[in-house]
Amino acid sequence: MLQRSLSEKVFNVFNILGFFLFTIMMLIPITFVIKTSLDISQIGEVNLNLLPVEPSLLFYRMVINDESVYRPFMNSIIITVAGTTLSMLVNALGAYTLSKRQLPGSRFFIYFLIIIPMLVGGGIVPTYLLIRALGLIDTLPVLFVPQAANAWRMILIRNYYWSIPLSLSESARIDGAQEFTVFFKIILPLSKPVLAAIALFTGVAYWNTFMAAVLYIRDAKKYTFPVKLRELIILGGDAEKNLEEMLMQLGLDPTEYFLSIEGLSSVMMITAMIPIVIIYPYLQKYFAKGIMVGSIKG
Amino acid sequence: MYVGKKLLRLGENMDSASSSKVYRRNEKKVFNKTNIMLYLMILPPLFLYYLFRYVPMPGIMLAFQRYTISGFKYWVGFENFTYVFNTPFFWRAFRNNWVFVAFSYVFITPSPILFALALNEIRVRWYKKTVQTISTLPNFVTWVVIAGIFMQLLAPNRGYVNQVIMFFGGESIYFLSKPALFPWLFTFMRIWKGVGYSSIIYLAALAGVDPQLYEAAVIDGAGKLKQTWHVTLPGIRSTIVVLIVLSFSRVLTGMFEPIFVLKNAYIESTAEILSTYIYNLGISRGKYYLATAIGLFKSSISMVLLFFANWLSKRVTEDGRSIL
Repeated sequence: MLQRSLSEKVFNVFNILGFFLFTIMMLIPITFVIKTSLDISQIGEVNLNLLPVEPSLLFYRMVINDESVYRPFMNSIIITVAGTTLSMLVNALGAYTLSKRQLPGSRFFIYFLIIIPMLVGGGIVPTYLLIRALGLIDTLPVLFVPQAANAWRMILIRNYYWSIPLSLSESARIDGAQEFTVFFKIILPLSKPVLAAIALFTGVAYWNTFMAAVLYIRDAKKYTFPVKLRELIILGGDAEKNLEEMLMQLGLDPTEYFLSIEGLSSVMMITAMIPIVIIYPYLQKYFAKGIMVGSIKG
Repeated sequence: MYVGKKLLRLGENMDSASSSKVYRRNEKKVFNKTNIMLYLMILPPLFLYYLFRYVPMPGIMLAFQRYTISGFKYWVGFENFTYVFNTPFFWRAFRNNWVFVAFSYVFITPSPILFALALNEIRVRWYKKTVQTISTLPNFVTWVVIAGIFMQLLAPNRGYVNQVIMFFGGESIYFLSKPALFPWLFTFMRIWKGVGYSSIIYLAALAGVDPQLYEAAVIDGAGKLKQTWHVTLPGIRSTIVVLIVLSFSRVLTGMFEPIFVLKNAYIESTAEILSTYIYNLGISRGKYYLATAIGLFKSSISMVLLFFANWLSKRVTEDGRSIL
C-alpha cells in the first residue's frame, strides 16, 4: 500500500471529526422535536438536555383523539394511495407508447408533453380559474388527478422499457398477442424495479401534497396533513383553546396542565415523517442502484 | 423431410403474406390496429396535459385585460404591467427573488460538491453510509415539517438555539422575526434539507474517476490537495457544469413552498418573492389580472433563461447536448 503522509493523517482525522459534527447538526433538530413531543413540563430554566423533563405520551393521546387531525391524515392517505395508483397506471401506459420510436407522431408527443410545457404555462392564476370553472375546488381529486401524468417520470420508465430485449415482445407478437397483452404480460412484469422506484417517489410527492391543497382547498375537512400541520404550527390557530378542548376530551382537567402548542405540533411533525422513514430504506435501495442518478445524467 | 417441407412452406406463407397487398396496406396505414392501441395508451397523459396545462394557457391574456364587477372583460394593453411596475411591493419581491438566487449559487450549489469531495475521502464504509443515510432523509420530508422543526429550534426562549445562547449568558433572540437574518437562515435550511440528496450525483461521478490517475499523481508526488485539484475536480467537471447549466432555467421557480410556510409579517420585507406575491395578489386578494401580469413577466424571464441555458449547454458540454 501507499504510505500515508502525516498531513494526510491529520486531514483524515479532521474529516471524520467534521462529519461527526455534521451528523450531530443533522440530528439535533429532530431529536429536539422528539423531546418536545414527549415532554409536558412547564417552561422552566435553561436546560440543554435533549431528554424530556417530564416524559409523557399525553400529546400523542391528544392527537389520536382529535377529529380535526384524524381527517387530514386520512385525506393524505387517500390521495397518496389513489394518486400513486392512478399516476403509475397512466405513466406506465404512456411510457410504452413513447418507447415506440417508429410510431408516427412520436416527435409530437415529446413536444406536447415536455418541450412546450417547459416553455409556456398558464401560471398560478389561470390554472386556478380553470380548476374553479371545472368545479374542482374543495374536492379531493384536484389534489391528485391534475398531477397524475408526469412526462419526466414517463421518460424514466420509457428508458427502462428500452433496456428490455425486443425479442421478448417480438415472440409474443408472433404468437398473436396484441399490444395491450404484450404490455401487461411481458413489459410490465419485467419493469418492476423501475416502477417500484418511481411509485415510491410518486408516493412521497403525494404524501407531501401542500401547494395544491393551499391553492384549491378551503374546507378544513378536505385539508391534507401538511396543510393541517401548517395551520397548527405556523398560524398557531386557537392554540390555547384547542389544547383545553383536547384535554377535556381525554377527561382531564385543563387547569392542572401547562402545556405548549409546540408539543402538539411536534407529534404531528413526527406523524408526517413516519411514513417517509418507513419507506426510506427502499427509497435508498433505488437511488443506491443508480436508477435515479442515471436518469438525471441521461 | 417432412419437417423441412413444413419449414419451407412457413417461409413461403410469410413471404406471400408480406407481399400481399392487404398486409402491406395495413402496415403502411397510420391507424392500423397496433398503432391505435398505442395511441389509446398515451391518450390519458395527453388529455391530462391538455386539460391542466394547455387549457389555462390562453388565460395569460388576462394580463392585458381588466373586467368590471359584472364580469365584462375589456382590453387595457400594458396597463396592468405599468401599474405593477409602479408598486414598490413588486420590486421588493423581485429584488428578494434575485437575492435568494444569488445565495443559491454562492452557497447552495457548492455545498453538495464539497460534501461529496469530503465524504469521498472517508474510507470507513459504515461511517460513510451512516452519514449519507442521515443527511439524505430530510430531502423527502415536506417543507412544512422542515420549517416547523426550525421554527421550534429557533423559537424565542424555548427554542434549543436560544437555550444554548441563554446557557452562555446571552439574550434570547427571535430569529425568524429579523429581516436581515432571513436569507441566511433560509439558505441554511435549504442546505440542511438538500445537501445529502444533491451530493448523490456527485458521489456517483466521483466513483467513476479512474483510480489509475490517482496512482499516477501520487507517483508524481502530488499531495491530497493537488490530487483533488488536478484529478478529482476535472473528473467531475462535466457533471458540475451540466447541473449548473440546467439550474439556470429554473432559478425563479421552486421556492414557493418554503417561503410560503416560513414567511411572517415581520420578515416580509426580505422574504416575499414573486411567486408568493402572485399568490397573495391573485388568489388571496382576487386581483387576477395583476397577478397574471406578474406571472407572465416571471415566466418570460424563465423562458429567456431557459434559452440561455440551452445555448450554454450546447457550447460547454463535450457532446454539445441541448436541453430542449
